[in-house]
Amino acid sequence: MASLLQIGAILVSGALLLLVIDLVRRRKLTEEYSIIWILCAAALLVLSLWRDILHVTARWLGVYYPPAVLLLVLIFFVFVASLYFSVVISGQRRQIESLVEEMALLDQRLREAERNRAPDK
Amino acid sequence: MKVLALIPARNEADSLPAVIAALRQEQPELDILVVDDASTDGTGAMLSALGVEHLRLCEHLGVGSAIRAGLRYAQRKRFDIVVRVDGDGQHPAGEIGSLIEPILANTADAAVGSRFGGAAGYRTPPGIRRAGQRVVSAWVSAASGVRVTDATSGFWAFGARAIRLLADEHPPGYPEPELLLLLARSGLTVAELPIRMNHRLAGQTTLTVGRLGLACAITALALLVMPLRQTTKGAGGG
Repeated sequence: MASLLQIGAILVSGALLLLVIDLVRRRKLTEEYSIIWILCAAALLVLSLWRDILHVTARWLGVYYPPAVLLLVLIFFVFVASLYFSVVISGQRRQIESLVEEMALLDQRLREAERNRAPDK
Repeated sequence: MKVLALIPARNEADSLPAVIAALRQEQPELDILVVDDASTDGTGAMLSALGVEHLRLCEHLGVGSAIRAGLRYAQRKRFDIVVRVDGDGQHPAGEIGSLIEPILANTADAAVGSRFGGAAGYRTPPGIRRAGQRVVSAWVSAASGVRVTDATSGFWAFGARAIRLLADEHPPGYPEPELLLLLARSGLTVAELPIRMNHRLAGQTTLTVGRLGLACAITALALLVMPLRQTTKGAGGG
């Protein structure tokens, strides 16, 4: 007999999975960045559907309240995702810096070329 | 020897004309390049009016990026030496000759002017900023094996090898303490010289207590991480 909590967990993780897939479908999220969220939602869904896994994992980890394992999994994924996005942002920061610097150099070359073309100005 | 005076500037419209005038008067053989880091005070328009060569970053990136862009310019234009001069008038044009001496004599790849070494008149007022500067300097000395008294100095001269390395690898953000570590770690020799420096002409120092704290943290991190990195290309040693 499924508890209210279990039904809630199934609905929420199922909705999360659908949301991520829909975001990819609408091209709001690229495949590359969606994988971490799909894994997260899938893991939550599996754990809510088969409570035995949850109970076994809880006992193995020494957790007395099995649903707390759900939270643990969620926090783990959110942590990994944040770290991953920090890496992505750092890379983009480097790319932006490089672009702005190169643009400044191009702009200078353009001004120089214009100066040389009209020397009497 | 082609020498470029590189001036990274952000909102220095009040002091920049005097700095450029002093450079033109005291070091007329020097080429000047100002890198305007997305100033909002009309520095850009003023540079055109002064007829000085300049790069304009369209977004504010920080002094490290401004210098990197300037070094790429120097590399493309085949300059042998780049002297970094601050736009606030702290670095006297008359001292450039002594700063580039070790590079001309081939005894160093880079040289940094110190406000504290020797009989120089400059003293940071006692307090947390001075304490912070000392901590960073001691730290950088220990990590790089080069004894420095002024790790937050921005008065630098770079020779050809340093230009080549830093045109790609100049640390962004607030870079001075990290710069010394990077150069030493890449097998380049750095000389520190006592230099008489002025107080800034106008505006506010960007070296706040928070920045010094950040510099401490970055230096600590660089100290931990840099030995784990592979030595960068184009540099000997390591």
